[in-house]
Amino acid sequence: MNWLARLLPGKAPVLDLALRTRLEHCAARPSPDLSLSHFETRYIVANTEASGLDLDRDPLLAVAAISIQQGRLDPRQAYYAPLGEHPAEALTGLLEFIDRAPVVVFNSGFNQTHLERAFDSVLGLPPELEWLDLYWQLPVFFPEHHSSPARLAEWMASFEIETFQRHHALGDAYAIAQLFLALLGQSPALGVATPKALIDAEKSRRWLRQAG
Amino acid sequence: MANSATEMLVGASSDFLRRFSPFNRMEPEALEFLSSRLTLAFHPRDAAILTPEMGPPRYFYIVQRGKVQARQTGGVAVTEYASLSLGPGEGFPIGAVSAQRPATNQYVAVEDCFCYQLDADDFLRLMQMSPVFHLHCTQYIASLLNQSRQQLQTTFAQRASEQQTMTTLLGQIVKGEPFVVAPETATRAALEKMHEARVGSVVITDDDKRPIGILTQSDILGRVLLAGFDLARPIREVMTTQPHQLSTTSSAYDAALAMATHGVRHLLVVDGEGRLKGVVSERDLFSLQRIGLGQIRASIEGAVDVPTLKHASRDIRQLALNLIAQGIGAEQLTQFISALNDALTRRIIDLSLDRFDLHGVEFVWLAFGSEGRHEQTLSTDQDNGILFPVAKGEDPETLRGRLLPFARSVNEDLAACGFPLCKGNIMASNPELCLTPEEWRQRFAKWIREPDPQALLNSTIFFDFRVIYGPERLGDQLRSWLNENTRNSTTFLRMMAANALDVAPPLGRIRDFVVADDGTIDLKIYGARLFVDAARILSLRVGVDSSSTVHRLRQAATKLGVSAEEVQAIIDGFHFIQLLRLRAQHLETEHDSPTDNRINPDTLNELDRRILKEAFRQARKLQLRLKMDYQL
Repeated sequence: MNWLARLLPGKAPVLDLALRTRLEHCAARPSPDLSLSHFETRYIVANTEASGLDLDRDPLLAVAAISIQQGRLDPRQAYYAPLGEHPAEALTGLLEFIDRAPVVVFNSGFNQTHLERAFDSVLGLPPELEWLDLYWQLPVFFPEHHSSPARLAEWMASFEIETFQRHHALGDAYAIAQLFLALLGQSPALGVATPKALIDAEKSRRWLRQAG
Repeated sequence: MANSATEMLVGASSDFLRRFSPFNRMEPEALEFLSSRLTLAFHPRDAAILTPEMGPPRYFYIVQRGKVQARQTGGVAVTEYASLSLGPGEGFPIGAVSAQRPATNQYVAVEDCFCYQLDADDFLRLMQMSPVFHLHCTQYIASLLNQSRQQLQTTFAQRASEQQTMTTLLGQIVKGEPFVVAPETATRAALEKMHEARVGSVVITDDDKRPIGILTQSDILGRVLLAGFDLARPIREVMTTQPHQLSTTSSAYDAALAMATHGVRHLLVVDGEGRLKGVVSERDLFSLQRIGLGQIRASIEGAVDVPTLKHASRDIRQLALNLIAQGIGAEQLTQFISALNDALTRRIIDLSLDRFDLHGVEFVWLAFGSEGRHEQTLSTDQDNGILFPVAKGEDPETLRGRLLPFARSVNEDLAACGFPLCKGNIMASNPELCLTPEEWRQRFAKWIREPDPQALLNSTIFFDFRVIYGPERLGDQLRSWLNENTRNSTTFLRMMAANALDVAPPLGRIRDFVVADDGTIDLKIYGARLFVDAARILSLRVGVDSSSTVHRLRQAATKLGVSAEEVQAIIDGFHFIQLLRLRAQHLETEHDSPTDNRINPDTLNELDRRILKEAFRQARKLQLRLKMDYQL
């Protein structure tokens, strides 16, 4: 199958000129200032949909992203693309939509890895992005709900968050985006005022977790 | 591709909204518009989502999850609730966003909340686009208004009850069996009984317990003792016949008003069949006693000179201010002021009559303008005149010559008592306004025949005449003649209507009110007059005998087939504007200060602003009626 061939490591993808130009344009965009406030920062909540949970075997089916700006979720700023026949198109579109903004995922071990692998194999480049993982972040902000990492379904239940379709790239992204809004709302209380502070907090949390 | 993502998320919002009213009834395109423009935000517990300090809200909010509490700020309670909880599907602040002014409530997340936000501009577009949503918002505001009115009434009722209430029904005030005797009872026996029972009055009733007379302690001195009345004779010979009566369902207000109007200290309370239920004395109405209505009345009646009356006039003003402070309605208030001012004027006339020999001259003292309409506020200058009948063989000029110096003296005394001389010389001392019935009729007839601007202006002042002193019948005759002669003068009425329509209610298309450069509205010109002018025209057309705007409206409405509710709404609007004027004057101490009738709507609380807007709408309704009737 065509897409499987492209995901095979070591095989350099062939992209047409138009896509290459778009990707170069993306790469040339300035990196975000991570010391601005949350309100001034454009975040991207990204999510993937695969046929199963095995990173090596289950192919990526679709990608979705929702931007959070000024602490608000605006449906007009959202992206969804099945990889289908044109994965390069779908992923380039995603990178353009991300526009180097910090990317928020739930469970980076799965989503970030999936996306990075796909960028690498399909587009031939692992883009430089800042990642935030709510899987690690949320217990810090809402220990009263779950003091250690919990599943997305559990967090949704805690906040009574609903979505239009579970296990759909955009459906879950919508739920994750709402969790992220809650996190941003809580962040002033914890003195975590910037994307940089969020990233640093996550790093130490992971380190502590792993060390412990 | 971004498009399909947006579609899915918008779909999620509209699915959510459809679970709640009014969104579930909303037109599909309107719901689509709304859903596609909503953004979602989170508010942690205790966060203030919207406060009055934030100015006109930039967004309309719909709670998606969680609970938001609307808390009142400031000292004035606008609604019955101190706080109100809003849950999923409920929106806020409807009033503030529609009117584009700061919220009156503080909206706080009482638990973690997700709220949709809609740009204020989109909210207004949605109102235009969706009749369902528009209705929802207007009904919400209306219900709030209704609540506010009830709240206001409750507050006032509470305050009143703390002061032994003015709204209590007389049936509740009178206690125990009234002290009664039969008409044939010997006066001595009756007085002895009075003394034993320690009561201040005795009522004389017939066999059916219907009161036929009263004798009070204060009558005894003059009529019995000083007059050397034979105490063996029956009491009916010395009692006051046709005593003033009120029904058990009248209020303490009514009683106080009747006492002030008739100058009596006791009133009989009777049931539906006219049977005596009790006596209510001035003392019983002690909340009023406290304010001093009785004392004022007494001091007016007993005044022997102008300086004493001056005092009384200041007291009237003080009383009015107290009543305003107590939140008493404009109708009662203007009636009180009017009744006391009438008494004051009559006393001044009586005192002047002692100094001028008008023996054999019959005359009536007329009030014009607002005084003529019973609508005096605290800063009204004099508008008065004299009507005197001429018997056969009498010379009008001679009579006029005798009346004018007297009138001049009354005018000056009135001025000394706080009613400034009329700048336009609309005063009885003006020979042009001291006229025989024939002369008044000629004057009126000319205005009706040739309605030039001056004539129309005159009509608005003089056609509101009322008899203050002297035989009422002379005024009644003039009134009948006037009604007879205007009713069919369509041209005149049409000109009057055109004149009245010159000034439109100051309702803005975008903002709530149209204001002058200094941000104020003149509530006399752009408020009260709209009602007064329209009421005058309607009453002249259908021949109403009253000069009061409210009576005119009520009676004309009946004849013109307007429903009672509709006319009550108009009257409420008029009263509210009058109340605001009185309140504004409350703050002013100078007569005729240019700011007398000016109010700045921005300084009103939310409740008053909404009611004022509604009042202007009622004026507009009234004007529309004139417009249609006279095809203007």
